[in-house]
Order: sequence, then C-alpha cells, then structure tokens
Amino acid sequence: MQNPQLWVSVFTIGSFYGLIALSFYLTLVGAQFFNFAIGTYAMIAGLGTSWLVIFQSWPLWLAALTGLLAAVALSVLTEVAVIRPVQKRSNGELPALVAVAAVLFAVQQGAGLLFGHQALPGQPIFATDRITIGDAVIQPSAVPLFVATIAVFAATWLWIRGSRTGRLLRAVGDSNEAARTLGLPVGRVRIIAFAVGGLIAGVAGLVFAPSSGIGVGPDSGLHWTLSGFLAFVIGGSASVWAPLVGGMLLAMLQIFVSYYFGGDVAVYGILLVALVFFAFRPEGLFARRVRV
Amino acid sequence: MNQSRSRALKTIPASWWRLLAGVAGGIAVFAWAGDDGYRASLIVVGCMYALVALGMYVPFVLAGTLSMAYSAYAAIGGYAVGLVVANLGLPFPIAWVVGPVVSGLLAVILGWTTRRLSGFFLVAVTLLFANAFQAWVQGNPLLGREAGIGGIPPVSVLGWTPTSMQFGAAAIVLILVVTFLIERLRMSPWGIVVQAIREVPHAVEASGARVPRMQLVALAIGGAIGSMAGSLFISSVHSINPLTFTLNLVFIALFIPIVGGVGTAWGCLLGAVLITHLTLNVNALGTSGMLVVAVGVLVILLVAPGGIAGLAGSGWRLVRRQLDRRTGRARQ
Repeated sequence: MQNPQLWVSVFTIGSFYGLIALSFYLTLVGAQFFNFAIGTYAMIAGLGTSWLVIFQSWPLWLAALTGLLAAVALSVLTEVAVIRPVQKRSNGELPALVAVAAVLFAVQQGAGLLFGHQALPGQPIFATDRITIGDAVIQPSAVPLFVATIAVFAATWLWIRGSRTGRLLRAVGDSNEAARTLGLPVGRVRIIAFAVGGLIAGVAGLVFAPSSGIGVGPDSGLHWTLSGFLAFVIGGSASVWAPLVGGMLLAMLQIFVSYYFGGDVAVYGILLVALVFFAFRPEGLFARRVRV
Repeated sequence: MNQSRSRALKTIPASWWRLLAGVAGGIAVFAWAGDDGYRASLIVVGCMYALVALGMYVPFVLAGTLSMAYSAYAAIGGYAVGLVVANLGLPFPIAWVVGPVVSGLLAVILGWTTRRLSGFFLVAVTLLFANAFQAWVQGNPLLGREAGIGGIPPVSVLGWTPTSMQFGAAAIVLILVVTFLIERLRMSPWGIVVQAIREVPHAVEASGARVPRMQLVALAIGGAIGSMAGSLFISSVHSINPLTFTLNLVFIALFIPIVGGVGTAWGCLLGAVLITHLTLNVNALGTSGMLVVAVGVLVILLVAPGGIAGLAGSGWRLVRRQLDRRTGRARQ
C-alpha cells in the first residue's frame, strides 16, 4: 500500500463507484427503492456520447448533453412507466425487482442493437496535461473524473441540505405513507429523485469512460450496478458523503487485493465483503441514528 | 346427455387438463422438429431454458426468494458431465446424478449463508456469487481453465446411443415429468405452506412451520433442477467452457415464468417455447430477439401479470361460463 500509483487507481475507480452509489442513495432516499438499472444509465450516457462523437461526428458538448439527457429520460421512464404501475398493483419488492431486471436487460440489449457490441474509447469532457505528484502520475483522462466527482457530491450535498426540494426528498424517503398523509407531492418528489439519480449515473458513465473504455458487455451495465450497490451498502446512508467513502473502500479492496493476491482473490473478497455487510451491517458504516 | 358430458368434464381436475395440454404441446414440438437436426438441437436448448426456469420457479415463484446463482448450478451440471464422462470415463447416468446432488448441496450452503437476506440484497449477493464461481472455474486446472472440457463422447445409456431426435424426445419427456412433479409439489401441503411463506412469513412462522428449513429445501430443489439443465445441454453439445452458462441465461430463465405465466409450472414450458423461438429461431430481427423478450416481459408485467397461461386460463373460464349459461338456459 506504499505504491502511490495504486492509490491513483483507487481514487479513479473509487470516484466512479462513489458516483454510482450516490445515484443509488438518491433513489433510496427519495423513493425507498434500489434501482438496479442504474449501471445501464451510466453505460448509455458514456457509450452514447462516444458513439455520437466517433460515428456521427457530433460536437462533444452536444453529444454529452444528449447522453446525459438519455440517462435522465430512461431513469424517469423507469419510474413512471414501470416501477410505479407495478408497485401500485402488487405488494412486496419482488415484482418491482423483476420489472427493473427486465429494464436493465432491455436497455443493455437496446444499446447493443443501437451502438454495436464493440468497445469504444471514452470522450474526455476537457483536456489537461498529465499531472505528476511525487512518484504518482495522474493520467489526463482521470482529471475530469475527479473534478466531476467533487462537484457532483458538493452540489448534491448543498441541494439536499439547503433547498426545499431536498427537504421534501428526505421527508418522502422516510415514509411514503406519512408524506402522502401530510399532503406532500410524493409522485413528483419521486420523479425528481429518479431524474437526479439518472443524471448522476449519466455523469458517472460519461467521465469514467475515458479511463475504462466503454462497451455493451459484462464489464459495464450490470457489473457497475453491482459495484455501486455494494459501495452504497458499505458506506451507508447517513450523509451524502457516505457513498463516496463506500466507493473508496470498495476500490481499495479491489485494487490492493488484485495487486497483491491476484484478480480471482479480489472477486472472492468482494463476495465475502458483500455477505458480511449485507448480513451483519446492512445499514452501512455510517447509519443515521434516530433517538426515540 | 349433453349435460352429463359437461358434468363429467368438470369432474376432471384442472391439473390433469394442464398435463394433457403439456403432453399435446410436447408432441406438437416433436412433430415440428421432424428429422431436422437443427430443430432437434433447438429443442434441447429450449428444454435447457425450461429446466433452469423450472428450477428458479420453485424458490422464486413458490417460496418468494429470488436467487440468481443459476448460471453456477447449470455450470456444475455441465462440468459434472465433463469430469465424470470425459475425464474419468464413467457412464453418463452417474454424471446426471452427481451434478444435481452437488448443486443442491451448494444451494443449501449458499441459502444458509444468505438466510438473513431478501429482495435486492439477496439478488446482489447471488449475482456476485455467480461472478465468483465463474472466476473460480476460469482459474481451475481440473476444469480446464478458460478452455473448459471438450471431447465429451456421445450420450450412451446401458449400450444404447440415442440419435439426436431420440435425445430431443427424451429431453421433452424429462421436462414434462419435472413440470408435472413440480405441479404436484405446488399443490401438496408442503407447497401450500411454502406459498403461504411468500405471502405472510411471520404468520406461518408463528403457527409453527420451520420457515428457514422449508426455504432451504425449496432452494435445494431449485438448484438440483437447474443443474439438470446444464447436464442435459452439455450431454448434447459435447463440450463446456466457463462462458457456456452466463448471467444472460439466468435473466432469460427469470423471464420465462413471467412470459408463460406464474400461476402454474406449465407456464415455464410455454414461456420457454416462446423465448427459444424469439431468441434463436427468429433470424429476421438479428440479435434483437432478446430485446423483444425484455420489452415483452415489461409489457406482460404491466398488462397481463398472469402471463400467457393466465390469459389462456381466463379465456377458458370465459368459455366455460358461456357454456354453463347456455346449458342452464337449455335446462329451463
């Protein structure tokens, strides 16, 4: 753990996991729902942008905007057209979970049909020189990721704490029923939660793509959903910053275990951490304690 | 006379009608294949889908625990055939027993480890388990690492070597038998209690049923059936590698009961026929067969939660009501 270059990798992957986990946090806080399709929104934004720039020769800003809008639209559509009607009709979380699995699968297949199955290079939203800190080198592709991560987390933090919508979000998320009884606009707040969640997932995919490359494959979509979900569970939901901590811890596990013990061991380690956290501390490291 | 016939029809329980329809469907599929080798191989793939779906049906639809580790169970069934037949030179039936037993045991261990989890958490952990299992297989020299196990000889049971048509017919018979048994299970006292666990777990626990143990049994049965799918498929294609059974298969198997209808296990067969047709047999749409399936699943979840079997069931009841009304009028 003395190797500074490994820490750069940790921060790169951890920032991405943190952003996906923040997207989970928003749909959980605002809608009491784990949206398993989040990873595919990130994939659509990143892959769509690259595809528009490379194959359709769109200007980058327009392509990125379109990619982000697509992620937001998909997220809102998932809530309005799928989750809400299914939840209205049936109790329990399984029917909605299966419906979201179908969304995940549909988006993945649709992306393959639209963009093809080859991996594309990500498009950096701004270019810098490579930065050298001591022995560590930060590649230009990672700089927009770090900047975006800090900006998104800070903005979300200010928004949740400071704005009326942020307070509404927390009120609705604490209990949909109580909020409905109080006459709060539950449906609208849920849509806002899904829209912002989709936007953050889109940003995550867009800024991570230059570091990872992006394609319709087992390495994006579902895989990102799982990593982000795990990062979210590790971090907990006490504060907006908890998902970032969870993302960094998960990235440390992945990078250092892979480096010292091999990739297989990292996969087993992640399964083990998931089992331990889900079974013994599903509320995460940072849990909000309510005194009664 | 007309009246007595309609009364006689009513005394036949619905489960026998479903069995008859299933057998008729099996014969129809077999007749469709004719002596076309490609169609015979499609039948085996369809039966493999159906078996994984039937395996997931027991814990998911009956007991309400959604485990996604079925790619691992199918792989165990497949590698059992590879190891036992190709590497050890033992007969096929031994492999067909070893795979389901190992998978059932693994399902119990995984189910016991994750007994406190449900919903999203269980789905996430079982998906991670499937990933970890795949990584383990890819690094295991005994299982041939990335290359897998090839050169599995053609199926022979006690000196009898079935043709591809006979193998397809046997596969159809196998899934009919498994479906019939699951239906018996669903309507047995055990099945009723397990379904009650899905709806009101605390009430069932309070009335003295051993809920965790029953869920483990459901998971074990599901794992064993899922493993049979792998054994069946690998016995037919003669080789296996770590990418033969992926999470795609698990998603397909999850959608099959929903398309076919969750009300009865026969729905899995309907769904398997339709999904095999859409994903493998429709060439006009290229690779988008899966997209059609996923969108179709969403539409069914939103519009017809009973699936095709549910639609057929309500249509059948409508016809019966019309018939009853007519005979009633005749009586007056």
